[in-house]
Amino acid sequence: MSRHVKKSPSLCTDRPLDNADICNKLSLLRQLLASCFGPTGRLKQVHNSIGGCVVTTSTSSVLLPAISSAQPFVNLIKSSILNHVSRFSDCGLFAATLCLALVERAKQSGLGGNVAIGLNKHLLGLCVSYLQREDCGCKVKLDFGSSQHLVTLARSIISSKPACVLTEQETLHISKLASQAFLLTLPCANPGTVTLGRTVTASVEGHSVLASAVFPGLLLDVTGALCPHKAESLNSSPMCVVLFSASLAGDLPELGDGIVEVPSGVDTDSQILDQLLELGKQAVKDEVKLFVCQKVIHPVIQQYLRSQGIIVIERLGVTLMEPLIQLTGAQPVATLHSTLPAKAYGKVRDLSIRQFGSKTMLHLHPPGESAICTMVLCHRNETMLSELKVVCQKTENVLRLTLREPSALLGGGCTETHLAAYVRHKSMNEVTETAAVLGCSQSEYLLGVEGFCHSLESVAKALEHNGGNSFIDLTHAHHWTLRADVMSGCMEDMTGLCGCGLVEGSPSRKWTCLNSKYTEFSPASPSRDSPVQPRVLDSFTAKLNALQVAVETANLALDVFLLVTFLNVSMVIDSG
Amino acid sequence: MLGSTVINHRQHVGLQELSALAGVTHSFLGPDKTYKFIQDDASGESALVRSCFRLFENLELTCAVGQLVHETIQAHQRVYGTGSGCLLFLAGAWSRAAVECLQRGISVPHVVAAMSEAIEVCEDVCRICSISIEGLGATQSEEGGAATPHGSGLQLSKKSVPRASRASCHKTLNISGQRKIKLSRHFYEAEAKTQPDQPEPPNITYLADALSHGCVDAMNLAVEANRLQSKDNQDVGCSTFDVTKVLTCVVPGLPEERSCVLPGCVVLLSVEQASVALRLREQPVNVALINGDLSHAFRHLGFKRPAGIQQVSDRSALLGSSPEEEWLVKVVALLLNLEVKLILVSGLASEKVIQRCCGHRILVVEKAKASVLKAFADATGGVPVTYATQLTKHCVGTGAKVATWRELHESATAVNISARGNGGLVTVVLTSCVRSKLQALEDQFWACAHRLHRALKDRAVLPGAGATEMLCVRRLQKRAGHRSETSGAPTEAEGAVNPYRGEVFRLMADGLIDYVSTVMFNTGRFSKVKARTALRQQLQECNGHVGTAAKFSQVFSEGENEDGAFVSEAKPAGAPAMKVYDNLSVKQEAWRKALDLVLLVLQTDAEVVTGVEQKTAAEENLMLL
Repeated sequence: MSRHVKKSPSLCTDRPLDNADICNKLSLLRQLLASCFGPTGRLKQVHNSIGGCVVTTSTSSVLLPAISSAQPFVNLIKSSILNHVSRFSDCGLFAATLCLALVERAKQSGLGGNVAIGLNKHLLGLCVSYLQREDCGCKVKLDFGSSQHLVTLARSIISSKPACVLTEQETLHISKLASQAFLLTLPCANPGTVTLGRTVTASVEGHSVLASAVFPGLLLDVTGALCPHKAESLNSSPMCVVLFSASLAGDLPELGDGIVEVPSGVDTDSQILDQLLELGKQAVKDEVKLFVCQKVIHPVIQQYLRSQGIIVIERLGVTLMEPLIQLTGAQPVATLHSTLPAKAYGKVRDLSIRQFGSKTMLHLHPPGESAICTMVLCHRNETMLSELKVVCQKTENVLRLTLREPSALLGGGCTETHLAAYVRHKSMNEVTETAAVLGCSQSEYLLGVEGFCHSLESVAKALEHNGGNSFIDLTHAHHWTLRADVMSGCMEDMTGLCGCGLVEGSPSRKWTCLNSKYTEFSPASPSRDSPVQPRVLDSFTAKLNALQVAVETANLALDVFLLVTFLNVSMVIDSG
Repeated sequence: MLGSTVINHRQHVGLQELSALAGVTHSFLGPDKTYKFIQDDASGESALVRSCFRLFENLELTCAVGQLVHETIQAHQRVYGTGSGCLLFLAGAWSRAAVECLQRGISVPHVVAAMSEAIEVCEDVCRICSISIEGLGATQSEEGGAATPHGSGLQLSKKSVPRASRASCHKTLNISGQRKIKLSRHFYEAEAKTQPDQPEPPNITYLADALSHGCVDAMNLAVEANRLQSKDNQDVGCSTFDVTKVLTCVVPGLPEERSCVLPGCVVLLSVEQASVALRLREQPVNVALINGDLSHAFRHLGFKRPAGIQQVSDRSALLGSSPEEEWLVKVVALLLNLEVKLILVSGLASEKVIQRCCGHRILVVEKAKASVLKAFADATGGVPVTYATQLTKHCVGTGAKVATWRELHESATAVNISARGNGGLVTVVLTSCVRSKLQALEDQFWACAHRLHRALKDRAVLPGAGATEMLCVRRLQKRAGHRSETSGAPTEAEGAVNPYRGEVFRLMADGLIDYVSTVMFNTGRFSKVKARTALRQQLQECNGHVGTAAKFSQVFSEGENEDGAFVSEAKPAGAPAMKVYDNLSVKQEAWRKALDLVLLVLQTDAEVVTGVEQKTAAEENLMLL
């Protein structure tokens, strides 16, 4: 007998971006993400409908995974941004805001999908080639001779996340630590292949941020573990280390679906334990001083090893395995069934105990030169600490990207406004030719350029969340803001600095509102030999990629012709 | 599953929620607290609470702000054991201040910046007016050789605070590694000359009295616990108090006066076990320490029980006993061989083990705290093991003692387990005829114990009874600039930094006034209005005069004389002693955490709720993504 269930017909949505519901959702997503943008961005409380812990954040890599929508467009943009963030760490909100602005503008302009897509592609090309030029006006060559640029870059990232709740002094302290940690992960004078080290982060709740510190070597949390109070007694000469990735808990390894038949009276547990003890004995014989296991160690083995004066650390966790291998040169032992090979052993030079609040840490110093360092992050509460941790990891990745391309872009919205001015100027000079090449009318072309530039400028404007007004100066095309409570229109009052801090306001300077039309001009580069240094810098590599991701994702969304929704699954069909 | 949801882009709903939550705890402030009943309409169960953290423990809050508050209070309580009421009240008061700021059109970054600056001002005041506990209450000479808030106030409330004074204070902190707060360079130098290296032991009775905040009985128990512990550690001055080695044992059915403190660890045992204890009394016994459960089936954490193991039995197995029986025989034989008479188990022991051990006159005590195991390990030379089968001669501790303390009723006997020296372990036995009061009594005791512990750890205290808060108010108002002086407009220097600093400072100060007046109101001797007026008046008086902190304590003493003792029997004005003290680090931390809560909520503009059904979304006016 068989049973038939009538299938529900699939739901087709023609030209989905014309659908009001979809547009509303995209607009909501834009508001949600754009309101997080920048140092004065608003935070979001992410939590489950049935209670549980609350995450307060304004970071895209934390916020976006929490958003799971039934709307394929939302998911398309989300996964695209998350993919960017997973590779480049920074500029996720920039990419999302720009992408959603481009989609919105393209719909508003009424340009045909294909025309908008072609134009966006062309203008992206203009931007990318300009950004890669030597004389690009919004790019800064990083000077590795001093730490200033690195600290500024780090500081721009750290100060852009208000959920860390840091004071000026604390921000600077963490920025310096991040730069210091980055420098420690660079191996010195090592001919041949250079392998970058890594920074391990340990967090301590309930301590002042200023107590945070960076140490060369590795700090392992040994709170509550039976550890010798005085590790100095051990630091005679380089110590032998053994590292297990296999569990030493004394249980049987995974059996799969098979069944093991055991005659009654045979105690499997004690037999495995005997085998483990053999390993322990060998470690003692080989003069191991530090015995580490990624997983659990059977209490009997621990007791035996400790009685022999060995420091035992269990439950190291998978994340610390790689750094520990790098530091000690040990090869993790994955099996319990053979004797320990001599090459499996590693070395540490020195051990010491460090106390951070309630946490006890065992500090492992590398035997030779090693690019492993540990950053101990302290903050008053868990919410702020977890955001700080995310931000610091992001900073580490961004600083690393500078090795690939030793440049940075001006921050504070100046790159966006400058780029918009450049695109306007450049495209005005080639209207006829390009329109012909792209196969559109000149008015369509101008409309597309305006939409693209406006989208870029809207990202700069998104930095302001308190009703202030955004301006652009007509020389360098940098971004300026005026507080809401200062009389609007008094542009002469703009005596401070621009968003990135490179250009100073002066009475002779001309400004215009960011959303007003201005005669296009070629934005000048600030003089190269000026002693003024930018105060806000963004990652060049991350931003360049974010720009490309934003435009390409927007183009993909604009390209969707038909949306087919099945009963339980949705998918996007691209008909070109 | 359905996606995430964005709750209405609310304006300041979060801050209002925070303020509403804080409102629940007003009656828990100050020495005169009142009980609250929490009733669950669904189950009919109810709970009697008298402190902020117990209240939140019993409430099921699903809103994000509620969760955040709960997490913060738990974290604070875990470490400090006191002060969560103060934390939440100020979070509420300052969230109202933040709402007020927003309504006046001050932008969020300005509020955040000014509030952060204000808290630094308050912390600075705390640092300045903190009083070293050394010699406190012992000498009350007219010169105020020991640190007094008056002297410091006089020194420091003058406009220019000598920078060197604070520098010297930091220096002492760094060198000695312990908190030793001196109030000014003047005092510091004078003391450096006269004071020998050995710090004068604090007068514990005096200190405890001033920190009791109305819980005299509970504080007496804490003092006694400290005395016993110090005796154990041969610390004549009682200068430290390790609360991790203090245990409580609640005994219902006895009048409250029977509460007492005993050295060692007091546990309630069944009659059968008590009879074993009786036989063991007054003789040193060997002790085994088990970290985990004492049962055949127990395996250490992380051990995966094998699946797919099949026992193949032959005839001989049928004749033999069960594995559990075999294990029991083996363990008991081992225990007898090692002459173990007492087993402390951190987890549970199986009924069979307890009975078998009883049969062999071995006493098994379950649910021993980690600190108890540690103290016994230190005092007896025993080593905690996970499995009883691990026990060797080396692991067994010697010289433990078992004594029956009191037979309570037919089913329970209190037995005192101790070791040579005890390692500072003391038990506070709390009794009450009213069973539902026991929890509150226990909480009260712990609050007192933590206050004493913190004071000894900080080596300093703050002037209590609202004096510190009012000093902060004064400082904040002064820094804000009086409206009358500057005719409303902020001075240029201030304006360049943050044009709204004055306004925000004044609102933060109002929050502190609110706190002090609520405490006064809770005494029942002031109406809210009267309390507030009294405080404002006294503030004005202070401003009218040269403005000294001494005035403040005077203010408080006067208030007491007029309106009946609000603080306690106060000394006449100018006397160097204050009878009520607060904890330095607890107060600073509670204030910080309160502000952190406000700042996080203030900067939040939306909630992202995951896992919402479409139906509820429509009902709750959520926006679906």
